[in-house]
Amino acid sequence: MISLSDKVWSPYVAGALIGLLQIPAFMLMDTGLGASSSFVKFAGHAALIFDPTVADGSYFSKYITSSKYVWQTALVIGIALGAFLSMRLSNARRDRISPVWKEAMGVSSPIARYVLAFLGGFILLFGARLAGGCTSGHGLTGLAQLAVSSSIVVPAIFAGGIATALVFTRRF
Amino acid sequence: MDLLLIVLLGLAMGLLFGIALEKSRVFEPGMILGQMRLQNFTMVKVFVSAIVTGLIVLACLHGLGIVTLHPKALSVGAQVLGGGLIGVGMVVAGACPGTVFAQIGAGYKDAWMILLGGLVGAFAYGYALPLFAPYVGGAEKMTYADITGWPFWLLALGLAALLFVGLILLEKWRPSASEIGAEFDGRGCGPQS
Repeated sequence: MISLSDKVWSPYVAGALIGLLQIPAFMLMDTGLGASSSFVKFAGHAALIFDPTVADGSYFSKYITSSKYVWQTALVIGIALGAFLSMRLSNARRDRISPVWKEAMGVSSPIARYVLAFLGGFILLFGARLAGGCTSGHGLTGLAQLAVSSSIVVPAIFAGGIATALVFTRRF
Repeated sequence: MDLLLIVLLGLAMGLLFGIALEKSRVFEPGMILGQMRLQNFTMVKVFVSAIVTGLIVLACLHGLGIVTLHPKALSVGAQVLGGGLIGVGMVVAGACPGTVFAQIGAGYKDAWMILLGGLVGAFAYGYALPLFAPYVGGAEKMTYADITGWPFWLLALGLAALLFVGLILLEKWRPSASEIGAEFDGRGCGPQS
């Protein structure tokens, strides 16, 4: 049996658990699992502080008003809480920066890592919004719905990732 | 639904999602990078298992007429470019928009910078969109069931069966026990690392 004090679960068990979360998502919220819209919601509220025009007619407006994105924002905060709980109960302490990432990418200075982290995050969300979803929205939920759009996005994600990994891990 | 209830539902579901991401170790930057280097297949295992389960769930719920599907609109150019950028970002950041929250929860300090970059990225996209809006349009929300005219449940179960066989073969080729690493972060796994 699986336990919260385990450091590792089978990837298949964990994956199936994630897939089962589509039941409450579709039945109670009429949507699927996703993550990147919550970034737009937060960015929209931040924009609202100094630019009231974003409230209507802008890209941000529906993310500010619809309760679906309140749910998704709670979901991503829950992800952080769940990972924290799981880490504490299994005592799987982490370094500040992943040693595997540092070795593979050949980056040792923390400053360089923080700059790349920021840039990576920027590219990630810009790309996700351009595509209309991320690894969760298009990947998990889109493919489970046999969406044509998601069947284009997911191979593109892997192509972009594999090409970038090749460039970086060969030290340019 | 009451807003408080929506928040509590989201938190509860996120809690389970976060536990699954942490326990499978798929949220580890080393696992995500290892997958993109084709050295560690933990990410594909978790991802495809979740899709297989999702396909079966939706085949039942949609087949019984309980839920409506919401496929995203098709916009080929934007989706090839956007998807490619997500892949670039996943390697540079070592995360995706969902796993970054698991990294924050598990104690990776650099994940806060990924989050900040992501928020700025979403902000920039919202303001930049009017410049290229005509090129990213696309309203057709199609599934392969619409294209083929076959019942959704049949196609979904068929794909789920195919992917399931794929997972069995993947496990034979890359046993999970060999992909975890001594520190459970994928270190020391794969042919070159």
